[in-house]
Amino acid sequence: MNRVTNSMTSRTTLRDLNMSLGRLQQHQANLSTGRVIRKVSDDPTAAVDAMAIRNELRRADQRNRSLNDAQGWLQTADTALVSGLDILARVKELTVRASNTGVGDPSAQYAIATEISGLRSELLSIGNTKYLDRPVFNGTAEGVAYNTTTGVYQGNDSVVLREVAPGTVMSANLTGEQVFGTQAGVGGDLFAVLDRLQTAILASDSTAMAAEHSNLDTATKRLAAAAAEIGTRGGRIDNLRNRAAVDQLSMSERLSGLEDADIAEALLDVKASENAHNAALQAAARVLPASLLDYLR
Amino acid sequence: MNVSGLYTALSGMNAQKRILDVTAHNVANVTTPGYHRQRVTLEPAGVASVSAIFAGRNLGAGGVSVVSVDRVLDDLAESRLLRETAMQGQTSLTSTTLDRIEQAFPEPSDIGIAAQLDDFWAGWSDLSTNPGDLANRTQLLERSQTVIDALRRASVELDGLEDSSKESVVRLAADINDIAGRIAELNRNVVGSDGGANDLLDQRDELVMKLAELGGAVTRPAGGGQIDVYIGGRIIVSGSTTQSINGTGGQLTWASDGAAVTAPPSKAAALAETINNTVPRYRASLDAVAQSLVTSVNTLHTTGYDLTGPPGATGRNFFDPAGVTAATISLSTDVAGQPDRIAAGAPGPGVPGRLDGELARAMAGLASGPAGPDALYRSMVSTLGVEVRTAVRRDEIQGQLVQAAANRADSVGGVSIDEEMANMMSAQRAFEASARVLTAVDEMMGVLLRTGVVGR
Repeated sequence: MNRVTNSMTSRTTLRDLNMSLGRLQQHQANLSTGRVIRKVSDDPTAAVDAMAIRNELRRADQRNRSLNDAQGWLQTADTALVSGLDILARVKELTVRASNTGVGDPSAQYAIATEISGLRSELLSIGNTKYLDRPVFNGTAEGVAYNTTTGVYQGNDSVVLREVAPGTVMSANLTGEQVFGTQAGVGGDLFAVLDRLQTAILASDSTAMAAEHSNLDTATKRLAAAAAEIGTRGGRIDNLRNRAAVDQLSMSERLSGLEDADIAEALLDVKASENAHNAALQAAARVLPASLLDYLR
Repeated sequence: MNVSGLYTALSGMNAQKRILDVTAHNVANVTTPGYHRQRVTLEPAGVASVSAIFAGRNLGAGGVSVVSVDRVLDDLAESRLLRETAMQGQTSLTSTTLDRIEQAFPEPSDIGIAAQLDDFWAGWSDLSTNPGDLANRTQLLERSQTVIDALRRASVELDGLEDSSKESVVRLAADINDIAGRIAELNRNVVGSDGGANDLLDQRDELVMKLAELGGAVTRPAGGGQIDVYIGGRIIVSGSTTQSINGTGGQLTWASDGAAVTAPPSKAAALAETINNTVPRYRASLDAVAQSLVTSVNTLHTTGYDLTGPPGATGRNFFDPAGVTAATISLSTDVAGQPDRIAAGAPGPGVPGRLDGELARAMAGLASGPAGPDALYRSMVSTLGVEVRTAVRRDEIQGQLVQAAANRADSVGGVSIDEEMANMMSAQRAFEASARVLTAVDEMMGVLLRTGVVGR
C-alpha cells in the first residue's frame, strides 16, 4: 500500500486545477476572439492552409480590381464606338445627299463639306477618348492617339492586358488601327477617307464620292465589328465576375471554417470546462483540509 | 528487585521523547522542499545482539536504546526524479524559447509578414492597371518599406532572443558554480557531523536537484557520506573541491582547460540548442525569404521600363542587391524616394511602352510562385508551428513524468501529517506507560523501604 503524503495531495491537486483552468482559459479565448487559430501552433496545418487562402483571397480581390478596370476600358470604348457609328451614319447620309442633290450647287456642297469636317473632328475626339486619363485606342503609347489636325495615328498596336482569372489574361483595349483602319491599308484609315470625301464633294466629283461611299461602308463594318468584339468581351467579363464572386465566397467560407470558432460550440465548451473547473475546485476544497487533526482532542 | 527497573522505564521515556522530537521536526518541515521524513530506529537494550556464547556479560535488565535517526527515502525513486527534473529543465526552456520565436511571427493575421507581402504584391497589381499614376507608385514604395520593416523587426526579435540566451548562459554558469561550491561545503560538513547530518544531506540533495535541472548533473557516492558530482562525464564537485565553469561567449566551458561543457538534457543543453541551432535555423529561413524577395523582384525589375528617360530597360534594381538578409534588406538607392523610377513596363508583347503594365503584372504574379518568398515564408511558419506544438506537448508530458516521479519519491520520503499524528499519539501513550511503570517501581521501592528492617 502506497503512502499518500500531504505534499503529494497538494501537488496533484494544484496541477489538476491548473490544467482545468488552462482549458477553461483556452475555451474562453476561443469565444472572446471568435477564432480557434490564434497562433500557428494551435493547429499548424490549418494555420498554413489559412495563410495560403488569405494570400489567394487577396489575389482574387486584386483580380476583381483588374476586372473592374478592364470593364471601365471596355465600357468607355463601347460608348465611344456607338456614337462613332451614329456619326458615320450621318456622314453616309450626307455623302448620298451630296452625290444626288448637291452636285452643281457649290453652296450646298460647301455646307455639306463643312459639316463632314465637323463630324471628322468629332470622330477624332472619339479616337482620343480617355479612361482614367489614358487614351483607350492608343495601345500602350503615351500622349494622344490621333493628331487632332492631321488625323495621323500616333499610338502603337500593343494590347493592354488585364489578369481576369487565375492564369488568364484578357485584352482590355482595341487599338485605333483596329477600330478606324490602317493608314497604310487599301483606302487608308477612316480619317483619310473623310479627307478625300471632303475634297471629292468640294470638287463635285461623283465618281470619287461613290468610291469613298463604299470605303465608308467598309469603315462602318469595321467599327461595328469592333463594337461587337467589345460587347463580347464585356459579356465575358460579366461571366468571369460571377465566377470570381462564387470562388471568393467559397474561399471565405473555407477560411472561416479553418480560423473561426463555432460560437455555439465555443459557448458549450466554455460552459463544460467551467463546470469541470468548479467540480475540481470543490473536490480540492474537500480533500485538502481533511486530516486526523480534526478528530484529535 | 533492584533499581534497574527505574532506568528501564527511564530509557523508555527517553526513547519516546526522542520520537516526539523527531515527529515535531517532521511536522515542522512538512512543506520544506527536499525534506525527507526521519524515523527513529529503536532497539531493545540488554539483549545480546550476538549469540550468547560470545556475550561476555549480562547486559542489564533491559530497556530500549535509540540506535539512529534515519532519513526515509527510496534511492531508485530519487534518482528517477533527478533524471526527469533535468529533462524538464530542457523541455520547459525549449518550449519557452520556441514560443518566443512564434510571437515574432503573428500568423495567420492581417499584421504578419504574410499580409505585408500580400499588400506589396497588390501594390504591383494596382500599378499594372495604371502605370502612369504617381499615387500608385508612391503607395508601392511605402508598402515595400513596410515589408522591409516587418522582415527587419523579425530579424531583430531573433537577435534579441540570441542575446538574452547568451546572457542566460552567463547567469547559468554563475549559478552552477555557486551551487557546486555549496555542495562541496556540505560535503565537508557531512564528514564528522553525526547528529543533524540528515538535514545536511537533505540540503545537499536539494542542491543536486537544482544542479541537475541547470546542467544535468549526476552523482556518485564518494565514501564517508560525501558525493562526487559530474556534468557531462566530467567531475565538477569532488569531495570538498570544485571545478568552475565559464559562461562567456554564449558557451559553457571548463575553466581549467577551456573545453566545452557537453551538458546532457537540461537548461544548459536547451540554451546551447537555442544559440547553436534554433535561432540560426530560423534566421536562415527568414534570410531565404528576404533573399528570394530581393532576387526575384530585382531580376524582373532590371529588365523593365520606368517613367524617366527614353523607353528602354533601366537595369535598375528595386531592392539593394547587397542586402539579401532579413537584417539588411533595403530599397535600392535608385528607387528609394523616386517613385517614377519604379519599372512597370516590360519589353513585349507588341511595342514596348512605358505605360505598358506588363512588368508590374508579372511582378504581382510572383506572389503565387511555388518557390517564391510567400511560399518560403509559409513553409517556415509551418515548420515553426509544428516545432512549437511538439515542444509544448513534450513539456506537458515531461511535467506529468516529473509529477509522477515526485509523487513516487514523496510516497516514501514525504511527511504525512496523519501518520505523524498517529506516531505522536503512540509515543505519547508509550511515554505515559513508561512513566506509569516508573511510578509503580517507585511505589514498590517505597513499600520496601517503609516496611523493611532498614526503613524502620
